[in-house]
Amino acid sequence: MGTATGIIRALNSGIKHIAVKRFTLRYPEQKLKFVGDGYQYDPTSGVGIAGYKGRHILFHDKCTGCNLCSIACEGIAEAIAMPKVQNTWKQNKKSIMPQIDYGKCVFCGLCVDACPFYALYMTNDYELSSFTKEGLIYTPEQLAVKPQVQQDSEIIIDKRGARHG
Amino acid sequence: MSKQLTPKSSKKQSPESSKNLPPGLQLENVDDRIMTLNVGPQHPGSGHMRLIIKVDGDYIVNCDPDPGYVHRGEEKMAEYRNYITNIPHLERPVIHDSCNILYPYCLGIEELVGIEVPERAKYLRVIAAELNRCVYTQYWLAIYGIFLGHSTMFMWPAGDRELLIDLLEKMSGARVTHAYFVPGGIRNDVPANFEDVCLRQVNYFEKRIKEYAGIFYDNPILIARTKDTGVLSREDAIRLGTTGSVLRASGVDFDIRKKEPYDVYDELDVHSNVMKAGDSYARSKVPWLDMLESCNIIRQALEKMPKSGGVRTKLKPNPKGGDDEVYRRVESGRGSLGMHIVSDKKPQPYRLKISVGSFRNLIAMPYLLKGEKLGNMPAVYWSLNYWPVEADR
Repeated sequence: MGTATGIIRALNSGIKHIAVKRFTLRYPEQKLKFVGDGYQYDPTSGVGIAGYKGRHILFHDKCTGCNLCSIACEGIAEAIAMPKVQNTWKQNKKSIMPQIDYGKCVFCGLCVDACPFYALYMTNDYELSSFTKEGLIYTPEQLAVKPQVQQDSEIIIDKRGARHG
Repeated sequence: MSKQLTPKSSKKQSPESSKNLPPGLQLENVDDRIMTLNVGPQHPGSGHMRLIIKVDGDYIVNCDPDPGYVHRGEEKMAEYRNYITNIPHLERPVIHDSCNILYPYCLGIEELVGIEVPERAKYLRVIAAELNRCVYTQYWLAIYGIFLGHSTMFMWPAGDRELLIDLLEKMSGARVTHAYFVPGGIRNDVPANFEDVCLRQVNYFEKRIKEYAGIFYDNPILIARTKDTGVLSREDAIRLGTTGSVLRASGVDFDIRKKEPYDVYDELDVHSNVMKAGDSYARSKVPWLDMLESCNIIRQALEKMPKSGGVRTKLKPNPKGGDDEVYRRVESGRGSLGMHIVSDKKPQPYRLKISVGSFRNLIAMPYLLKGEKLGNMPAVYWSLNYWPVEADR
C-alpha cells in the first residue's frame, strides 16, 4: 500500500463518521441511568445487590449505633464519625448515628457491607459538590433524606452507531 | 559521560583536523556539545516521572529514567491494615485497571485462608478483569495517540472506553476504582439482563476498535514515526526482564493467562498475540490485538458461565492466614503482576510485595532510547506500556 492510498484511507475512515450520531453524553441535560436504587447488602446471604455506589442513605428506625460502619472505615478513608442525634429510638440506646464526610469518602461501599441491620445503603445521587468543606459533611438527618434523581439516559446501539438517549 | 556512548551521527573530530579549519569554525570537543535535558517531572499523560536525557544535537546519547515522584508506600501501608481493609488501597496505583491489580491479592489470600471460590464468581471475575484490561488499554492508546499528535486517536478510544466503563459500572457500581474483587469471590452478583447488554456492547466495541486499523495502525504517518524506532531484540527482551505486551512484541510467546492459567482461564480458549519486529510499532499494536482477544474471551465466558449460583464464599470478619507465604501472579494490562504475601497468623499481612509490569518495562527504556532521535522519544517511551503511578507503588 502506497503512502497516498494509506493517507486517503485514513481520512476516509474519519469522513465516514459525519453520518454517525455523536456518542457524547450531554451531561447536565442528560444523566446516565443506573441499575436499581444503589448498592445494597444482604447480611444474611453475605452478598451485595448491584447498584451505583453514590451517597449513602441511613434508615434511622433501623440503626442501632453499633459503630460497625465506623470501624470498617478506619484505615480506609476514616470518613465516618458517630455524633449524638436529637431523637431517641428504641433500638438505639446511645443515640449515636453515622455522619459521613464526603471530602474523605472513597465510595468503596465497605461500610454498607459491615452493617448487619439493613440500616445503611448507597443511592444513585452523585452530585455532592459544595462551596465549603463543612458542606460536604452529611449529618445523620441529611443522610436520611431519599435523593430525588432524574436519570434516564442509556446507551443505545443501532445501525448508525452508539449514542446516549 | 563515557566515551563509548558516542552517538551514530557525531564522528569525533580529531585535534589535527580541527586545526586545519579557519578560526571561528573550530569544532568544539564532543563532551562540550552534550546537553542535559530534563523531560518532566510534570507528565502530560499520567503520573509524574522524569527522564534525564543527554542529547548531542538531535540524538539521545544517554537516558536516565527517574521514577519515584508518585511513591505512596502502598506496600508499607498494607502491613497496618487487615486483609479486607486493604482492598480500596491496593487498587489506587492503577485506577483504570483496578480489577487486575486486586486479582493476585485475592488469589493469594484465598490460598492463605483456604477457601474455594464459587464457579459463577470465577467467570464473573474473568469478565471484569478482561473489561478492565480493555479500559486500561483504551486509555493508554488515547495517550499514545496524543503523544504522536493524532488528536482523533485521542478522542476515539476515550469515547469507546465509555461502553466498557458503563458495563463495569453496572457490575460493580463504580466507574473506576471498583473495589469489586474480594477474597472469596466478588462483592455482588450482576444485574438481571447483564449478559445481553454485555454481549451487545462488547460486540459493538469490537467493531469500533477494528476501525482503528484504518486511521491509526495502517496510517503511513504512524508507520513512519514508529517503525524501526527503539528496536528491542528477542534476547534483550528476555535479558532485561520485560513482560507483557513488550515481551510479546519482541517475539516471545509469554502470556500468564495461557502459561499459568488462574481461575477459569484454562477452560477458555486464550490466544496470545506475538509480533516479531520488536519496534515501537509492534509494541503499540500488540495491546490492540490483545483487546480484540479480550472481546473473544468475554464472549466465551458469557457463554460458559453458570446462569445462577452463589458468587461469594462467606469469610470471617477478620480473616487470618497461617504461618505461611504465597506468591500469585496474573496478566494485567501491562504484563505480569505478582503479589507476594507473607502472613504471620495475624489479621494483617506481615509483608506485601507487589511486582508490577510497569517497573520491569521501564528498565528497558535507557537501552531503547540510546542513539534515537529526540523526536522519537515519546513514541518509544509510551510504547513501553508504562504507568508511572503503578511503577512507584
